[in-house]
Amino acid sequence: MAEKFKLNAHETETLIFSRRMIVAGVFIFVLLGALVAWMVYLQIFRYDYFAARSDGNRLHSQYVPPNRGLIYDRNGELMADNRPIFNLTVVRETAVDLNASLEMLRSVIHLSDDDIEQYRTRQSRRAVPHTSVPVRYQLTEEEIASVAVNQHLLPGFAVEAQLVRHYPFREIAAHALGYVSEINKDELEAMSDDEASNYRGTNQIGKTGIEKTYEDLLHGGVGYETVEKNNRGQVMRVLDRTDPVPGRDIVLHMDGYLQAVAESALGEHRGAVVAIDPATGGVLAMVSKPGYDPNLFVTGISRAQMSELNKTGHTPLFNRAIASRIPGSTIKPFIGLGGLYHGVITPETVINDPGYYRLPGRSRPYYDWTWWVDKSGHGAIDLRRAIYQSCNTYFYGLAVEMGIDRIHDYLLTFGFGANDAIDIPEASAGIVPSTAWKQENRGEVWYAGETPYEGIGNGIFQATTLQMAAAAAAIANHGVLKQPRMLRGTIGNDGEITDVIFEDTAASRQLLPSPEQIALVRSAMVEVINKPYDSEHRRHEGSAYPTLRDSGRPLEYPMGGKSGTAQVVQFQVDSAGNRDESEVPEEFRTHAMFIAFDASAQSRIAVAVFVENGGGGGSVAFPVARAVLDAYLLPRTETFDEVSALGSNAQ
Amino acid sequence: MRFLRSAPTLSEDASMAVTSRQLSSDFYRLSSGPGAIWKSFRIDVPLVFFLFCLASFGLIVLFSASGENISDVRSQAAAIVVAFVVMLVVAQMDVHFFRRGAPLMFAGGCGLMIVVLFFGAETNGAKAWLDLPGLPRFQPAEIEKFLVPMLLAWYLSTRSLPPRFRDLLICGVIIALPVGLILMQNDTGTALMVMMSGVFVVLLAGISWRIVIAGVAALAMASPAWWIFVAQPHQKNRILTFFDPYRDPTGAGYNIIQSQIAIGSGGVQGKGWLNGAQSQLDFIPESNTDFILAVLAEEFGLLGVLFLIALYVAVIGRGFFIALTAQDTFSRLLAGSIVLTFFFYAFVNMAMVSGLMPVVGLPLPLVSKGGTSIVTLMLGFGILMSIQTHKRVLPR
Repeated sequence: MAEKFKLNAHETETLIFSRRMIVAGVFIFVLLGALVAWMVYLQIFRYDYFAARSDGNRLHSQYVPPNRGLIYDRNGELMADNRPIFNLTVVRETAVDLNASLEMLRSVIHLSDDDIEQYRTRQSRRAVPHTSVPVRYQLTEEEIASVAVNQHLLPGFAVEAQLVRHYPFREIAAHALGYVSEINKDELEAMSDDEASNYRGTNQIGKTGIEKTYEDLLHGGVGYETVEKNNRGQVMRVLDRTDPVPGRDIVLHMDGYLQAVAESALGEHRGAVVAIDPATGGVLAMVSKPGYDPNLFVTGISRAQMSELNKTGHTPLFNRAIASRIPGSTIKPFIGLGGLYHGVITPETVINDPGYYRLPGRSRPYYDWTWWVDKSGHGAIDLRRAIYQSCNTYFYGLAVEMGIDRIHDYLLTFGFGANDAIDIPEASAGIVPSTAWKQENRGEVWYAGETPYEGIGNGIFQATTLQMAAAAAAIANHGVLKQPRMLRGTIGNDGEITDVIFEDTAASRQLLPSPEQIALVRSAMVEVINKPYDSEHRRHEGSAYPTLRDSGRPLEYPMGGKSGTAQVVQFQVDSAGNRDESEVPEEFRTHAMFIAFDASAQSRIAVAVFVENGGGGGSVAFPVARAVLDAYLLPRTETFDEVSALGSNAQ
Repeated sequence: MRFLRSAPTLSEDASMAVTSRQLSSDFYRLSSGPGAIWKSFRIDVPLVFFLFCLASFGLIVLFSASGENISDVRSQAAAIVVAFVVMLVVAQMDVHFFRRGAPLMFAGGCGLMIVVLFFGAETNGAKAWLDLPGLPRFQPAEIEKFLVPMLLAWYLSTRSLPPRFRDLLICGVIIALPVGLILMQNDTGTALMVMMSGVFVVLLAGISWRIVIAGVAALAMASPAWWIFVAQPHQKNRILTFFDPYRDPTGAGYNIIQSQIAIGSGGVQGKGWLNGAQSQLDFIPESNTDFILAVLAEEFGLLGVLFLIALYVAVIGRGFFIALTAQDTFSRLLAGSIVLTFFFYAFVNMAMVSGLMPVVGLPLPLVSKGGTSIVTLMLGFGILMSIQTHKRVLPR
């Protein structure tokens, strides 16, 4: 019984098992069928979609910034080049936890709050996703190694080489060349769409000086490349590339050697020097002191560096060469030319100088400088002597005779009152007053009593050192004015310089007296420096002659010039006509001016010097002007490297 | 129909063998003919051949998936060799040894897991590993995939089938005990696999469909409660991500999105070995372990996927044959459970990687990198071969 039952049970069990296995087999068949159908759906019907997604993962278009054009001086000296630096960059989209990574980086490399803040600003203005944004510039070799060691903890971060601007002579020509620095939001927004796309790969843009003026030439055109990146944002292969168009290399009229000499000639003084080639208007040197190292700005200046720069209060970033000042007596030759042109005076016109000037019918005296010396005057004096002796009385009278509006119109034609420079847009226009100007700007009528001061450059009139140099160059060039310019030419791919021709309208506007009359003013300016003491006549020596004589080195070339001393404050004059000149604090000391030029027939250089709170123009500014002319006209005894080392260490 | 007619004959033969067991307990079939030598070494040639093909294909894919890391491939190959040796050793043991030893081995296995609870080493949040000196690190829970079906098969083979309700309760306890221990080790994936290996035995033993349907319905009804009261946030997240990977495309959904991109962009023919952009540029996470199917599908295309599935079907088919031709209830239930568990393993991984199922941490059997998984799998196939090669001589 039991045996039989067991047999039946066994049969049943086998049957049950077999059936269940069949059911399982059907299940397996159905499930695998579903899986295969799903795979067919993914791999055949949605192939195009997923293939595109896969390419989207790995293929990235990125911008390749062009190399910025180099800047050479007229002698082929490289004033601004590019050098490689290594930056820590991050692709925001691939950084897993950006804040944690940044926090971690603080312990690995030097990364200040300032750096992180600057990075966030950069990140916020980058519209293109999946592009790398610099976190910190200029990693040291140790920092590059530390980042490499910790790379696995820093997804999305990479060390990238970049060419950035470098100014090998640092402070030398800093103001003239300007600098590049990081593009800011305003600059990006000011660009057209085309321009903005051209800057997609670029981090820096010219901010001042030549770098800004010729940004379009120097920048070049952006390139593109399609790269394959892995999941950590590392570039594995470059698949397609459109090379960027490098920026144009440019040549300036600037003479780096001269620039360095001018900087060291100014010494510890604050001030400006501008030298111009009279024949072309090319700016040979443009110095402003104190200077600064433009390299600080290229990758972003830190707050600490900025406050270090500004701690003296002497505004080193300010370009004094293109800021306007009252010019003092350096204006006299131009007033004289105006008088000759309008026939108010002739070379033979002689006036009597008792030591002061009085407006007709007025009692208030306008003193000559001789009054402060010995309460005398120049006596009988003509234009030539009025220039080389810098007689105030003569020019008080001349100014009054001409009238303020004729002075205004005449000075405009010498490049004053407007920024006449072709490619220095940041330059101040200066001020050339007139009755209309005063009404418009001060809401007042012109008082007759103001006019005499305009004759000696101690009134409202203001000019930049650049304008003074250009005007001096006009006299050197026998009266013909050239608009100042920095750019000489561009360098093509073949290395040949192509001169840039600018349209120059200055000469066509000029109101010039006869060539003889111009020659008279020119030679009077030569006498400013060269006319020695006359034992028979008092006050017949050139105003700068004593300084030349005291230097013990006679000039080796003909040189003309004019000194100027601009009052910073009005001196107190008592009722007896004495003024208190005792102890004057440095910041109230007079500004020293000098304009000078090579007085040979084919003049090669003219220069204007401005020494802030320097004292007397003849004694302080003249030696600077002479040093510049010496350096340009005499054989050079030092190499550029020697001179530039001097200049850049002088700060 | 034909099958049904022949089945009684088979079982009659089997029953005769059972009755004559006392007489010729150690007399095995050693007939001459093709494959006789293999039989004498207890080797099932088709099974070994298919497994060998699978493992070799796996190594080829692994080389690409590990970024052409030859040392990874070498250690995987070493693990495969060890696994084949383990399989052959296990195959030498008589299947009756497993039956007799089942309760003892089960008790030992549970003991080991209790040891693990106290002295286990932790990896990936699961305290499931035993680090014994002189032995490679291993996970006792892995063996439960065989110990549970073995004990169940042993227990049910002493009962008449289909199992009665009381038997099912005991089966439930046998399954719940190790599964509970594994859950305490915080290893949900293995717990699920062990549970399934047990459930397969019960299903194959002929549990009433009514109970099965009632159980499934109960699970379905309990699932909202599970979702609200039991489910951990990361579990919920996985399920939400399954329904919409793009709710967190760079976080939870990233794996499945990238994996689908890899599979889909493979197309019919694939991008070619070592040429998968998703694979070689590290867009696929876990590309040499759980997500290795994505690499295979990207580089070998639909053809490669079909080839892999065909190999799995071949192994499973041979397993079916072994289970159906086994001579007694214990062997049948054990063989059936091993085969179904293997299928479950492969299917869950493939479905998860292709986005048909929520992500569960299971490797692709015999292809994913990982020595322990391969050795455990081959141990199971060793048992299958033992079942196939230790049949009694049957008089014709």
